[in-house]
Amino acid sequence: MSAADFLNLFIAAVLLAGVYAAMSVGMTIIYGVMKIVNLAHAGFLMLGAYFVFEAYDRFKIDPLLGVLLAFPVFFFIGMGVHWLLVRRIATSDQPTLTSLLLLFGVWLVLQNLGYLIWGNSDRAILTPRTLSSIEIGPISFPTIRLAVFVVAVASLVGLEFVLHKTWFGRSVRALMQNKEAGQIVGVNVNRTAQIAFGVGIAFAGAAGGLLAMLYSFNPDFGATFQLRAFVIIVLGGLESFGGVAVGSLILALAETFVILILPASYQPAIAFSLLVVALIVLPEGIAGLWAKRRRWA
Amino acid sequence: MGVKEGGNVGGSSVSRFVSVVVPLLLLAGLAAVPFVGTGPNVIRLLFMTLTLVTASVGWNLIGGFAGQISFGFAVFYGLGAYTTALSINGGIPPFFAFLLGAIVAAVASLLIGLPTFRLKGPYFAIATIGVSEAVRVVMMNVPFTGGASGYRIIDKARFVQSHHYYTALVLAVLAVVISILVRRSKLGLALIAIREDQDAASDLGVNPFVAKLIVHALAAALAAAAGGVYARYSLFIDPDGVFAFRNGIAILLMPIIGGIGTIWGPVIGAFVYGIIHEEVVANFPQAHLLIFGSLLILIILFEPGGVVGLFQKFMRTVRARSSVGSHS
Amino acid sequence: MFNSCVHRLLQRSKALLHVLAIAVIVLVLVSPAWGQDEIKIGVIMPITGREAKPGQYQREGIELAIKQINDGGGILIKSRGKKLPIKEVFYDDGSDQSRSAGMAERAMSSDGVVAVIGGYSTALGEAESVMPDRYQTPWITPGAGATSTFSRGYEYVFGTLSPIDLLGYTTAQYLGNLVDKGKLSKGLKIALALENTDHGVEYGHGIDNWNKEHPGYFNVVFSEKFELGATDFSGLLQKVKNSHADIFLADAHLQDYITMHRQYIQSGMYHQMVSYGARGPEADARKALGAATDYIFAGIWWSSKLAYPQVKKFNDDYQAFTGHPPDSWYPATAYDAMRVLAVAIEHAGSLDKTAIRDQLRKTELKNSILPGQVVRFGKNGQIQGSFVIVQNKPDDKVDIVFPLDAATGESVAPKPKAH
Repeated sequence: MSAADFLNLFIAAVLLAGVYAAMSVGMTIIYGVMKIVNLAHAGFLMLGAYFVFEAYDRFKIDPLLGVLLAFPVFFFIGMGVHWLLVRRIATSDQPTLTSLLLLFGVWLVLQNLGYLIWGNSDRAILTPRTLSSIEIGPISFPTIRLAVFVVAVASLVGLEFVLHKTWFGRSVRALMQNKEAGQIVGVNVNRTAQIAFGVGIAFAGAAGGLLAMLYSFNPDFGATFQLRAFVIIVLGGLESFGGVAVGSLILALAETFVILILPASYQPAIAFSLLVVALIVLPEGIAGLWAKRRRWA
Repeated sequence: MGVKEGGNVGGSSVSRFVSVVVPLLLLAGLAAVPFVGTGPNVIRLLFMTLTLVTASVGWNLIGGFAGQISFGFAVFYGLGAYTTALSINGGIPPFFAFLLGAIVAAVASLLIGLPTFRLKGPYFAIATIGVSEAVRVVMMNVPFTGGASGYRIIDKARFVQSHHYYTALVLAVLAVVISILVRRSKLGLALIAIREDQDAASDLGVNPFVAKLIVHALAAALAAAAGGVYARYSLFIDPDGVFAFRNGIAILLMPIIGGIGTIWGPVIGAFVYGIIHEEVVANFPQAHLLIFGSLLILIILFEPGGVVGLFQKFMRTVRARSSVGSHS
Repeated sequence: MFNSCVHRLLQRSKALLHVLAIAVIVLVLVSPAWGQDEIKIGVIMPITGREAKPGQYQREGIELAIKQINDGGGILIKSRGKKLPIKEVFYDDGSDQSRSAGMAERAMSSDGVVAVIGGYSTALGEAESVMPDRYQTPWITPGAGATSTFSRGYEYVFGTLSPIDLLGYTTAQYLGNLVDKGKLSKGLKIALALENTDHGVEYGHGIDNWNKEHPGYFNVVFSEKFELGATDFSGLLQKVKNSHADIFLADAHLQDYITMHRQYIQSGMYHQMVSYGARGPEADARKALGAATDYIFAGIWWSSKLAYPQVKKFNDDYQAFTGHPPDSWYPATAYDAMRVLAVAIEHAGSLDKTAIRDQLRKTELKNSILPGQVVRFGKNGQIQGSFVIVQNKPDDKVDIVFPLDAATGESVAPKPKAH
């Protein structure tokens, strides 16, 4: 393989990592604040995809703009789901199986809603941008992937800003570190949890829209990405945002390069295997390893 | 969530008698079905439901008694199906083929449990998803078993539906008996202790790791036997069918619907799931996820004990009312 | 105390009563209807799930045939001395194999059908094919073409879809023809991407067979299988790129065709000829990818462009019946499956399933809309018909380009490079 090919693949992997990161950060927020593994994440990815699709199909709204619109829309949807269902179950310092199963039920319902509303034919978003590619010398990559990458990174930067510069953000970080201590210093746990859930779902919806620009989708969409999100947050450490970036990069690189030696039909197994290996070998993720190193130094 | 449905509160001999008679009546009824002339479709439906009962009761051993929620039991169902299929094609009699499937799954459960039981709750659940799907993808590619094209059993014998039906019935009964025996044994107590608080249990002298491995193997063996019985009936299996993620979900949903951690909960849940699934899917193919998802949400929010929990609540209300005035 | 014992007994019995009630409901729901004055035909097609679109089209083809037969009063049954209408009993198998098998079993064993038409896609067909011999009910598949289904010595299994390896063979034959006409050079390199199923394997065999018989024409430099329904084929396409092939032949179902080709275009790939097996002109693909699907060719079992008069009539009838034109080949094999079944039932003179099966073995459907204009089942139950190669042309047009006597337009080879 020539250097140009290698560089092309590497860039493709990085672009993919950006999207993966945006896709996974929603789960990290929810997990960090409420210790809930959001199994319904896939359902919201799917809804986000359809939202952006409908916005484009019916109202001719550019998909990138649709993604930006998805943030507030899904934020309120997320707060709604929290108010309706999630706040009724007990949460603790450890992730509970009750929350796992509840959100799994939500996922099943969302999937079916998708079928009922949109049927099961595959949809795709086709804009002039979709099939064009950018060429810089020997390097080329699809325009759409760059656009999606930019939006993903921008939203992550925005999140970082919120987490460090706003009152809400500081509450979230406080709760992620220590719930009781956070309460003592005056953080309103329920309010923060509700907003955090909303933000998590907002990212899920927007990420779904981003993915819809790259892939075709139907109501089953989301399951494979959910699994990838698991891999990423487990690799990265469930509560670390930097970890999400690292995890996304690792997964994207693995998927892009391992496939060159493995037969294509084994491709789905990469994510699954990484997941199992990560869970077993790195229970606290790469971020945990990093933290441990710091402690030992 | 784990009170044994048998109404042993008070130890009344009437309730003991009833809790034996009702299942026996049910068993007699099921055994009589092929003679009552209900037609092959009902037998097929009940056959499928009985295999589900076996898998459901099996899952409940590890998921209900020990509290280790596995999303990936499709892997054992599939291993049982394929092992049985390969064995029958290799000339091994069906009974031994099922047994072989159970053994293979039990061994697999050890391989899976050893690394994953160290993980806590949801991480264990997620890991089981990964394992199950990884095996499915591998099976899709292994040429020896036909890969994605599936594998076919060449059965020279004439098809007698009742043979398969009774096999499934006997297996289901066996599963329930194993479940009762485990529940009443020291192992059962240990599992409940582990479920409530694993660290405290080990402080009290229980070895959680070994206990979980043992019951995981039993559970896997039962799920595999169910898969094997199914394979022998349908003669054609493929990875996207038997190893499908949705199978693992179904196996998990059934005990939750019926009453996780109880003896009869998984049985009731399997009947509810099996019959509703068939009828709902036939008439409203788009709605069954909605129904099961909503059911799951409602159960988690309002009655985590499932159908059995509902009955127990009902009984408590009735008993409370009747004990005002008379003594029970 | 007695009161509470009775109460407890009642609660316990409630459980049993509920189970029995459910059982009774089930019995009522599934008891066979005694429709003596109609011919019940089971139809099992996926209208939900991965194969929903083609399944829907095949269902429409069958229902059009049933409507036309019933408009004429039905099928004449000699043993009854009159014409009986056809009643369709439809089952959606949700693209799920075990459900497909279960529905076939239910139809054949309890719902009193005399025959079943079903099984879109090899996978679903394989699962269903266990049941016809078990319940001695004739079964015709208009959507499963892998020879493995027909090579097990089954006696009640029929199919109106010609073998897939013949599809691969015809594809290679077409390309060879282009070389003979000077449009393509000799010795071009082929990259194969096959779906991981019987379908893909047989397609590959067909191409290999033709290449063996005609050495020197082409050279297969890359051949790999991919998983159905994947969202991302970029790894596979990268390998195809690395093989530096001139011709790209894939064998995929509709969903993967769309996904893969989108990524193909996004990667800026180009080959002189591109095909996705039996997929190409589908409306969904045209909608999803626009002009990117131009000049893709496909080997299909039927095209609405065939110049037979019965095809023109079918196109008009189908459009009137469903409100849209026939999509690719899907409705045609199903339409003729129903029609040949009707002829066989009439020749049998009764509703006896084995008699109908015997007639299916002998019957010929004379004004078939399929290429060759006749449906005749081979010894193994599978039709041995021929294929047409179609090529997408700009502005959503499609031309038959092979065989030459059926051609409606010229092949464009090599594909023009995109601007």
